[in-house]
Amino acid sequence: MNNYTLISIIICYLGVLFFIAFLAEKNSKSKWVNNSIVYSLSLAVYCSAWTYYGSVGIAANSGVSFLPIYLGPVIAAPIWIVVLRKIMRISKQHKISSLADFVSLRYGNNRFLGALITVVCVFGIVPYISLQLKAISETFEIMTDETSYVSKYIFDDSTFYIAVLLALFAAFFGTQSTDASDKHRGIVVTVAFESILKLVFFLIIGVYVTFFIFNGTSDIYNKMSMTPNFENLTKIDGLEAGFDWFFMMMISFIAVFLLPRQFQVSVLENNREKHLKQAIWMFPLYLLLFNVFVIFIAWAGKLTFGNEVNGEYFTLLLPLQHNNIFLALLVFLGGFSAVISMVVVSTLALSTMVSNNLIIPYGFLDKFIKGQPDKNSIYIKNIRRISIFCIIITAYIFYINFSIELSLYSIGLISFVIISQLAPSFFIGLFWNRGSSKAAIIGIIAGSFITFYTLVLPFTIEAFTGITDFTNHGLFNISVLKPYALFGIDFLSPPAHAFFWSMSLNVACYLVFSLSSKGNYRERNYAEMFVDSRNFSSLQDSALVWKGEAYVSDIKNVLNKFLGEERAQRALSLFFVKYKIPPNTQMADARLINFSEKLLTGSIGSASAKILIASAVKEEQISLVEVLKILEESKETIANNKLLLEKSEELSILALKLKKANEELIDKDKQKDEFLDTVAHELKTPITGIRASTELLIDEDDMPSEIKTEFLNNMLNDSDRLTRLINNILDFEKLAKGKHDLNIRQNSIKTTINYAIASVQQLAINKGVSIINDNLIDFRFSYDEDRIVQVLTNLLSNALKFTESGKGKITIEYKMINNMFEVYVIDNGKGISDEDFEHIFNKFYQSKNQNTIKPQGSGLGLAICKQIIEQHNGKIWAKKGNKNGATFVFKLPFN
Amino acid sequence: MKKRHEQKLVVLSLILFLLLNVPFILIFNISGQVFGIPTFYFSLFSIWLLSVIISFIVLRRHYE
Amino acid sequence: MKKKILIVDDEPNIVMTLEYTFKKQDFEVYIARDGSEALHILENNIPDIVLLDIMMPDVDGYQTLKYIKEQDSLKNTKVVFLTAKNKVSDIEKGLKLGADKYLTKPFSVKKIVSEVLELLN
Repeated sequence: MNNYTLISIIICYLGVLFFIAFLAEKNSKSKWVNNSIVYSLSLAVYCSAWTYYGSVGIAANSGVSFLPIYLGPVIAAPIWIVVLRKIMRISKQHKISSLADFVSLRYGNNRFLGALITVVCVFGIVPYISLQLKAISETFEIMTDETSYVSKYIFDDSTFYIAVLLALFAAFFGTQSTDASDKHRGIVVTVAFESILKLVFFLIIGVYVTFFIFNGTSDIYNKMSMTPNFENLTKIDGLEAGFDWFFMMMISFIAVFLLPRQFQVSVLENNREKHLKQAIWMFPLYLLLFNVFVIFIAWAGKLTFGNEVNGEYFTLLLPLQHNNIFLALLVFLGGFSAVISMVVVSTLALSTMVSNNLIIPYGFLDKFIKGQPDKNSIYIKNIRRISIFCIIITAYIFYINFSIELSLYSIGLISFVIISQLAPSFFIGLFWNRGSSKAAIIGIIAGSFITFYTLVLPFTIEAFTGITDFTNHGLFNISVLKPYALFGIDFLSPPAHAFFWSMSLNVACYLVFSLSSKGNYRERNYAEMFVDSRNFSSLQDSALVWKGEAYVSDIKNVLNKFLGEERAQRALSLFFVKYKIPPNTQMADARLINFSEKLLTGSIGSASAKILIASAVKEEQISLVEVLKILEESKETIANNKLLLEKSEELSILALKLKKANEELIDKDKQKDEFLDTVAHELKTPITGIRASTELLIDEDDMPSEIKTEFLNNMLNDSDRLTRLINNILDFEKLAKGKHDLNIRQNSIKTTINYAIASVQQLAINKGVSIINDNLIDFRFSYDEDRIVQVLTNLLSNALKFTESGKGKITIEYKMINNMFEVYVIDNGKGISDEDFEHIFNKFYQSKNQNTIKPQGSGLGLAICKQIIEQHNGKIWAKKGNKNGATFVFKLPFN
Repeated sequence: MKKRHEQKLVVLSLILFLLLNVPFILIFNISGQVFGIPTFYFSLFSIWLLSVIISFIVLRRHYE
Repeated sequence: MKKKILIVDDEPNIVMTLEYTFKKQDFEVYIARDGSEALHILENNIPDIVLLDIMMPDVDGYQTLKYIKEQDSLKNTKVVFLTAKNKVSDIEKGLKLGADKYLTKPFSVKKIVSEVLELLN
């Protein structure tokens, strides 16, 4: 492929990435940008060009040892639920902006420790970045078929330009805000996108190689098994190799926590703790998918090329061999993506550390205190941008000068071992509060020294001078000081060996020095907070561990310089409101100190923030005992007060409830008595009639038969009346009790009305009263049909009762008003007298002005109608002003 | 103090740590192949996949 | 001379039985369906005894009794409450208001007759 074609493709691809990052920054709140899948995929920045190309190389030449680098993270992932979550919480609480910030905070905001960690990280990561650049240039060369890949002149080397472009990307999207603990949504989304691409392309090439170039996994296996030394490629070579395996796993376990790029994406860029849940299983799954085809690609390459070419680039060479330029391009872009994500995130993380923990504390602090807030913020951003460029340029220089000798794999391992020097102070510090800063510093320095002696030194000497005396005979020819076999341990690979010794010394120093001296009070405070982070959040703001004198105005000055007057004022006002402190307070208390420190931390790092605030106040040291006592006391008091308050509130609420319930019961009781009285009264009336009639019938032999018949009819009527009454009462009781007994369904009002009319039709005909129902439009809405039929029937029978035979006319009408459905039952009968009007819907009320007509109802009919309608949330009433009869109306909500 | 799902995951981690190292890993250190995949790799990947599935189930169950 | 009885009750069935009974006993029977009808009748007639229901529309039994007690012309008229209200407090109230007797429903016809006759003698 042509040089320029490839470059233009690369530029297009970078353009796409810029675009994605830009979109993500714009929509930083949307669900597409903020979800657990993006988070889990961003963790895959772990897989750099080392994974993409290096693993295949190892698998081809040394067999299984490419795997432990991924098994460490697989073991680490389930523990994240405890460890990483703790780290995330602490980081959020304190607006941590980098790994160095985190560790130095744990050890009392120790400035030196922060700087030391930064230096270690830089030494560890810069070579790693340069090997990524090496991968780019080598794959570029392979794609374009150029013979010389290291150009004499920087400006001829496309790798240089790519490096510059990456620096621009990182600088642009990474330094938008002065507060480094702000999220970099654009970069994260780009990384996630790249993770998808690199996995998909790798899988594509895996499938292609396995199933298209060869005939499946068995085919490759069988062919490969015929080559010599095949066994070694498929197994662990004995117990000693097993130790190597173990140490590799430990190294990668540490790496997934402590690599600056991993810390950045997993802790600092996380904004929802619950995303962690998905990552715990998604990330190992990603790693698994990535590794599935590695051996097959490696073996396919071995089978195709033998030992002629560098195994690392089999992924690229195989499709090219078969003239599949498109697939090769995909592979190239996949590898390129892996490099981009690694480089951008790492440089971002490193530059933040360099600016916040190295440059600002030791260099520019004085300048800041005097300067203007706007200028300060520009200063900070520029320092970061310059750091980004410097780091990448350094990596480029390293690549130019040293890369010939190195394989991707070996550099990667050296990098990991260097970073793991931070592990003892990090991990032990999280769980053990006696770990002191002095011990951490000594441990790191000791471990780094060992790493240097056993890994970096021998290799460098050999590479540059070709002298192998040092390696073979040890320092000053003392054999126990052989760099690859200290004290006779010679069965481990150099990285594992270095790891073993450096870790042992590091941990030993850490433990010994932690136990031998007591830390200062401030450090212990922070230690407590880290180890016991769960209980601390409530104490933080009010931890009275500082006895000193400070004026609010002094602190305000400092804040003004960095946040600008407006923002500082706003923050302070919020603070005063939150703690109900009068805004013109002169003296600052511990809470304000803590608060101000936190505010500044995001911009300049916690160590610098501490220094600045400390410069504004005069501090008095108090003893640790006092501190602990205060903490204990305040904890207890707060807890007790809270408990008491809660309990007394509960009690008073309970008392109120009891009183109300009691009153309700008494009231209900009274109502029940009244109701029973009324019922009994109503029942007795027909019974009286029956009894009297019966007595007479029995005693009076000479009763004329017409009178007898009349009495017997009366008895019949009264029995019916009794039955009706009892039914109505039961009905009424049920309605009154069960508010949810309605069977609400969508019904047709026309049908319902017809039912009601049908039930009284015969009576109407007998009496010669006509029922008119001229409504054409049907309405469908929700109500209990049976009940509404009951209401209508009741109204109709009432109307029938009070209209004249032969001349009576009952009209039913309905209409919709204001989302309520109104039904009118109008008759031309006697009408309702004024005195009755008030009472007709009351229980047992019967219109008594009926002269000749015996009451047939129970008096409950309308009351029941009222119950039913009101249970539907409707209303029923009789319309006034009808001189020629009665108009009853009810309305129901139209649902 | 730790919730149950946390404990389960920590135990999973420990088991993986033991299983994937000597001497346990040497159990799978035999020649042979399964569908063209050498036994060692196959067993390793199976354990790996199993741990992903178990993590998934534990987390799904807890947060239901 | 025939004794006059005024039966005041809104229940036709009950009134019918009482009417038949007292007609058989050779009484002159007047009927009112509620208090105001009763008062109307009492304007022009002086019965010997009044059987008075309490729960009636419009003017109830208590009010009717009060009216009777106020009328000089009716000072010899006996008033008997005949009602379903049978609580002790009701009976006390009724008698306190000045009723001569307080009888409850349901009733035995024979008992009513004997009570009435007793009162009138």
